Amino acid sequence: MIPRFSLARPTTLSEAFESHLAAGGDAAYLAGGTELLQVMKMGFAQFGVLIDLKGIEELGGLEVAPDGRLRIGAATTHRTLERSALVRERLPALAALEARVANVRVRNTGTIGGNLAFAEPHSDPATFLLVCGATVELSGPNGRRELTIGEFVLGPLFTAREPDEIVVAIHVPATGPSSGRAYDKIAFFERPAASVGVAFTVADGAIREATVAVGSLTEVPTIVAAAGTAFEGSEAAEAALDGPSGAAADAFGALDVVADLNGSPDYKRHLAGVLLGRAARTALREALAHA
Amino acid sequence: MPDTIELELSVNSRRQALRVEPRETLGEVLRDRLSLTGTKISCDAQVCGACTVLVDGLAVSACTYLAADADGREVRTVEGLATDGQLSPLQQSFIDHAGFQCGFCTPGMLMAATALLEEDPDPTREAVIHGLEGNLCRCTGYAQIIDAVLAAAATGREGAQGDEKATAHEAAT
Repeated sequence: MIPRFSLARPTTLSEAFESHLAAGGDAAYLAGGTELLQVMKMGFAQFGVLIDLKGIEELGGLEVAPDGRLRIGAATTHRTLERSALVRERLPALAALEARVANVRVRNTGTIGGNLAFAEPHSDPATFLLVCGATVELSGPNGRRELTIGEFVLGPLFTAREPDEIVVAIHVPATGPSSGRAYDKIAFFERPAASVGVAFTVADGAIREATVAVGSLTEVPTIVAAAGTAFEGSEAAEAALDGPSGAAADAFGALDVVADLNGSPDYKRHLAGVLLGRAARTALREALAHA
Repeated sequence: MPDTIELELSVNSRRQALRVEPRETLGEVLRDRLSLTGTKISCDAQVCGACTVLVDGLAVSACTYLAADADGREVRTVEGLATDGQLSPLQQSFIDHAGFQCGFCTPGMLMAATALLEEDPDPTREAVIHGLEGNLCRCTGYAQIIDAVLAAAATGREGAQGDEKATAHEAAT
């Protein structure tokens, strides 16, 4: 059984902060519960009060903001992202990624904000959102702040979020002209063994900007700068990708890869290399289609 | 005296008012308070799918879904599939295609497939495999289950062209 707790159901952020303060720190915020309830059930965490955030309207919503960024309310479920016509049109790689998170039951309840706040090293969205230059908007009793994914995720299961702060929304910059983004993963269990995100911008027949991030290999999703550099200047043609993809994958050799049930560091590097080749093709196709 | 909360929900189209502890899962409430033991708890970690039930039409893991989150919602369990003693076309299809052996995963398979077919009445084989990949079966090897779902989908499409029984079933669910 889940250890005993009281449940608070605020409808505004300030009510949620009040509940947190009233609990004297013995509280946790609850969204879909797919991670939190699980760790409580397993005895890894216990809280006197759970503060359910699902009734707070500001944590909902999924729209293109006036600044052009996609604003994803933190309580948006994976399933909503998977099925959203807006996401499919604006950020197809995210919709495709979300359709493959865990299983349909987790997708129906788990939220994007909860996923990022839990900071599982094998999180699908974190790796892809890192490549997209997305930011996490936090609100707390002392105000609001926006952090990049790199600033937010500090370690395995560890983020920059203060205990009383709430993830309000995720902001994803629009894909620019002649740009493409892609994500690919391989999973033997519920979570990926290795995953790769790629973002390309092409100009004058060449790849001008490239960002590569890996997930599930290292303790946190990581941008591999040398892997991005390996693509820059290459001909923007699928047939020309093999060379730079190989060079980019070689850059994974310098990563401090964690061995786990999915395999040894070398094996996981190999998997990431294969995924990189695939994701690079997809990203390039999208960039050329947006030219 | 532990904290308790009042819930009002619909379970298989029947209104239920309950007083529960916040920590109680939907699976515990269904099985222990409402004696609806068709929903099975197996892995208790949202991985196996044996506890799949539908909340407002969406498949969820009853083992890790707070009963409190079902407040004001419509819950459907395997006990709600048959109407007036008549198995749902999907249930009948599982029998016709030998879609189970020990049967422990079956309630979850049926509920997951029910949600899948309501969303996509004409799924490809690939879509069925994708939709059920979070439901584990250790007996059948899955092929018969997928066949059963695809056949039920075909039956449902025929039924939709004027079969009264199918209309009545839809109205009831």
